[in-house]
Amino acid sequence: MTIWGALAGGFVGTLVLTTGLRAATELRLTRIDLPFLLGTAFSPDRVRARAMGYGLHFVAGLAFACVYYAVFSAVDEASWWLGAALGLVHALFAATALVNILLPVVHPRMATPFSAADATPLLEPPGFLLLNYGASTPVVMVIVHLVYGAIIGGAVSLSAQ
Amino acid sequence: MTGRPANATRRASPSRRDGYAAIGEYAAIGDGRTVALVARDGRVDWLCLPELDSASAFAALLDSERGGSFRLAPDDRYTVERRYLPETNVLETTFTTADGVVRVTDALLLPLAGLPPDRELVRRVEGIAGSVALSWSVEPRFGYANGETRLGTRAGRPTATAGSEALAVNCWGAGEPRLSAGGIQGQFVAGVGDQSLISLSVAHATPLVLTSRREVEERLAKTIAFWRQWVGRRRYGGRWRDAVLRSALALKLLIYAPSGAIAAAATTSLPEEVGGVRNWDYRYSWIRDSSATLDALLRLGCPAEAEAFFWWLMHASQLTHPRLRILYRLNGVPRSPERELPLAGYRGSRPVRIGNAAGGQEQLDVYGHVLQTAWLYCRAGGRLDRDAAGRLAATADLICELWRHEDSGIWEVRSAPAHFTESKMMCWLGLERAGRLANEGWIPDDGAGRWQREAEEVRAFVNGRCWSEQYQAYMRFPGADETDASLLLPTLLGYDDGTGGERLLSTARLIQDNLSRGSLLYRYRGGDGLPGVEGAFVACSFWLVDALARLGQLGEAEELMDRMVGLANDVGLYAEEMEPEGGDFLGNFPQGLVHLALINAAATLEEASGR
Repeated sequence: MTIWGALAGGFVGTLVLTTGLRAATELRLTRIDLPFLLGTAFSPDRVRARAMGYGLHFVAGLAFACVYYAVFSAVDEASWWLGAALGLVHALFAATALVNILLPVVHPRMATPFSAADATPLLEPPGFLLLNYGASTPVVMVIVHLVYGAIIGGAVSLSAQ
Repeated sequence: MTGRPANATRRASPSRRDGYAAIGEYAAIGDGRTVALVARDGRVDWLCLPELDSASAFAALLDSERGGSFRLAPDDRYTVERRYLPETNVLETTFTTADGVVRVTDALLLPLAGLPPDRELVRRVEGIAGSVALSWSVEPRFGYANGETRLGTRAGRPTATAGSEALAVNCWGAGEPRLSAGGIQGQFVAGVGDQSLISLSVAHATPLVLTSRREVEERLAKTIAFWRQWVGRRRYGGRWRDAVLRSALALKLLIYAPSGAIAAAATTSLPEEVGGVRNWDYRYSWIRDSSATLDALLRLGCPAEAEAFFWWLMHASQLTHPRLRILYRLNGVPRSPERELPLAGYRGSRPVRIGNAAGGQEQLDVYGHVLQTAWLYCRAGGRLDRDAAGRLAATADLICELWRHEDSGIWEVRSAPAHFTESKMMCWLGLERAGRLANEGWIPDDGAGRWQREAEEVRAFVNGRCWSEQYQAYMRFPGADETDASLLLPTLLGYDDGTGGERLLSTARLIQDNLSRGSLLYRYRGGDGLPGVEGAFVACSFWLVDALARLGQLGEAEELMDRMVGLANDVGLYAEEMEPEGGDFLGNFPQGLVHLALINAAATLEEASGR
């Protein structure tokens, strides 16, 4: 079990997760766009924000892979299904707290639960389970994070052999 | 200043019929999240929590017995004078009795100081002369009065709770609050110089904030200051300044701050005919209002609100692209399932509906409005990203496929679809605007040739089949012997039929002849698939002002504008419709489309007269 396995899994997992989210957007299942949400925290230019967002999203994907690796190390086991289970927890955390509550609080251009007439934010808040971005958004988020977790779990497991 | 100033006051004893105040007796206060309606007799009869489109806590507007309200008024007979504090959305009501005078200041507070509750309604009572005995009663009925509302106390303060909703009553100098089966009551006497305060702290899925008097007063002062600063940044300074700025403030109340969407109105099911069935939920954002909205925001000098609205429109329509729903929820969700509530209805006007089944109708004009909105946004310096640009080009492609279809038209008639002339004109406008956007390099130009060809075909259809030689006007649809006030709208947006405005002017004249009652216009006179009748549609008169000004009839337009500005209620607000004979307000209130039309008409008049 090595950190390099986790980073490799995190890279591939983030690639698949990002592609999956984009595909879901093109299929009109959801309006969520994580790179865009991240990038607009730093730039109001929509094109530049999206480019920066992809970079930030990859960094976040690698950082979460390290957290997964810490859990695998703590329980001294790594497998695709344990990774998928962590992915499920990750998705629920993202939908209920990370993107729903924490991101609006730190994002300078996103509405918060407390936005009122004195604010004219440019980005609507995600809402509980990210439902503001479409009714299928929670399902999409769970699926892509299950895949992301399974890839990291599988990669770490392979690196141990 | 011509017409009645928007801040005029009117001293009168308010009255109710069967427990209901007239719709024109209400004033609106809000915070960018929700809106409360306050009657002249001091009752808050409408408040949805926590959002404008959530379930109601006070809905006496729709059921005077069961709906719930917040009453505050002198015990003895009184007369009322009322106004908004100048350049704010803070209401000031002055009650005069035989024994004295008190002034009540009502506001939904902005979270500008201290630890604010999720929402906060404050009512400040000041003794001005003599002494006045007052009673107040908070009777919340959460969930459209359909759920159980429990009363209790927390840390010595009266509360009302239902599920994840909670409300605490904070009062200072307003008597000892008492809990009864129906609500929370108090009585007190206001003498000269006394200042009492009652605030409702609202919590939604969070712990209640039991706020302090000092913080409430600080937030009230900052809320008043915010509104004045906001108005101070607006650009319009012309002849109808008071009416335009009041309309701007009314629109700001309808802007849902988290997303930038604008609700069509703050209410549901206020009837278009008292006792009738034409009762609809307007707490949605209509795509057909989008171009007027962006135009008004830009002309008022509200670039931040314009930017937020445009991108809300782009985000909300993403899931249904390239098709558009005709309306979206304020948070961008496209579904709007309609159902009926077991409420008595305003003066017996049933059913009371929430949701709006019209959302699923086919209305071709919406595509033209979106492209017109994009054109206005880009022309004002806005930038599209690649996704949005591609989607707008695809919208123009879709118009090419759809324009030959019948649709339900701008008025969402529930009769059979038809080839509504206004829809065709808006299809032409959409294709023409797409061509301009492509010429400027703002959207891909791959389909530009096709858009131009199809636009010519649309215009040929309108000029050939929708024009009546007999009436010398465009008619409601091909072969119809009736006109439609919506045919004014394309003139406002730049529709060019190739006749130099001659046909558009004669169409406006037919609309005046056939649909006007005094200063007001009906939308149409023909069938719409619904029983009953409706009042005159107020926005149409402002469209007529705007159209006449654009077609060179400036004096007539100014005269009509003066008369229309004088038809606002005592605080400068309008409902969707008016009863032409008595002047009673009908329909949902306050109506965003009317205030948009007023702003745009005033701006056009200023431009046309070169002032």
